[in-house]
Amino acid sequence: MQSAAMPPRARGAVSISAKPGPRGSALDRMRQAGSLKVLFPRRQSEALDAVLVNTAGGVTGGDRFKTEATAATGTKLTITTQAAERAYRAMPGQTGTIDNVLTVETGAQINWLPQETILFQGSALKRRLCVDLQCEAKLLICEPLVFGRTAMNETLTDAALADEIRVTRNGSPLYIDRLVMNGDLQAKLARAGVAAGAGALATVLFIAPNAEAHIKALRKLCPDSGGVSLLGPDTLTIRLLALDSHILRQSLVPILNRLSGTTLPRPWML
Amino acid sequence: MATAAPTAMPTDDAVLTLAHWFSPSYPIGSFSFSHGLEWAAQAGTVNNGADLTDWLKDVLNDGAGRSDALFLAAAYHAQSEDAVTLIDQTARAFAPSSERLAETHKQGNAFCKITQDVWGTELPDLSYPVAVGRAARLCGLPQKLAAAMYLQSFVANLVAAAQRLCPIGQTEAQTIVRQLTPLCNQIAADTIHGDLDQLSGTAFLADIASMKHETQYSRIFQT
Repeated sequence: MQSAAMPPRARGAVSISAKPGPRGSALDRMRQAGSLKVLFPRRQSEALDAVLVNTAGGVTGGDRFKTEATAATGTKLTITTQAAERAYRAMPGQTGTIDNVLTVETGAQINWLPQETILFQGSALKRRLCVDLQCEAKLLICEPLVFGRTAMNETLTDAALADEIRVTRNGSPLYIDRLVMNGDLQAKLARAGVAAGAGALATVLFIAPNAEAHIKALRKLCPDSGGVSLLGPDTLTIRLLALDSHILRQSLVPILNRLSGTTLPRPWML
Repeated sequence: MATAAPTAMPTDDAVLTLAHWFSPSYPIGSFSFSHGLEWAAQAGTVNNGADLTDWLKDVLNDGAGRSDALFLAAAYHAQSEDAVTLIDQTARAFAPSSERLAETHKQGNAFCKITQDVWGTELPDLSYPVAVGRAARLCGLPQKLAAAMYLQSFVANLVAAAQRLCPIGQTEAQTIVRQLTPLCNQIAADTIHGDLDQLSGTAFLADIASMKHETQYSRIFQT
């Protein structure tokens, strides 16, 4: 601790869109500002792969990050992060916010596959992922959350999380997931109806006309601590708990390989 | 048009109407839904009265208890049919699994039909908590009591289901309902504003249990 002065707060914003190109989906427009950057690795498929990089190294109280992405008709856009996101200890009363906004046009697809978000002791994070789908749009979301650094035996007795996924189709609510947890998360997660002591959680949402066709295979891929369900013929959801992020990833990779319909981004290699 | 929730002491008529709606004989079929409890019993998570009490506390505090109470309150405060429709869509979008969606959809439809037929209220097919909130408003019933009784009947129904799944006797079962009644009252009070920005669902294992129940080999409950 060299200085008692408040460090400057990180701000970062990325905005990208994909358009159809001769060799698959191509970058249309791109804007990046502050501590959030976007990289486009050499393509592995017809999808446009985007990798978000938080150059501030994490999120703490008062930080604000925003990502906007649009997949135009006929495109496939896969977005991941270069590293696990870290929600660091926040100053009292300060909350870090992450706002992600996706638009999937008719017949387009977005795979939103960030790496884990790790909540540190004392962190305060408010995150929203808002997706609007047009007709026949496809969507795959996977948001893995890790409660404390298990390798360091960190326990999360004081943290604040408000995490929301809101998907609309032509403006009407289609899927809403909201987790609000404050205070002693460890004690809450220990409860039998909550997580029975699990330290990592993943929420997967898959929306595609053929979603129903995957259900049997996904049930086989789900461990005892996870479930899969069809919310509608084209909407499938998975909730997975695991002791730690490594075990969680081992369950997630085959599931995402099946649902993404493309090669998983490199950071997802086991 | 009424402008604020009635705060005066509920009239006897109002209390009796709510008792009628939440009586097990009101034909909405709650007895056939276990909310994933049947899986929790088979998986060994809920084996006895103490396990059941813990499980129900999680479902009330972190699962459908609190979120349904919020939807009920939001529907009660809604000023137009359009507002009710949006709350209903939100409630359905918030359902964590197909069986939980079926629970709220089927009980809601049955509640709307019988309540419309008997009370003459205008109720389109709504999910269950939204239907109750809207009907309570249209019939001028007290909001907080409606929510508390909704939650208590939810608990009583799940306790009755548990009696068929694990060794829990009548006295223990009714003791659990009595013990959880103050929590029902507390949640009804905490959610009285109906602010849907306060929605949260973190009873992950209760949600997963309802997903696992879909393929449970031998089952006596629909959910």
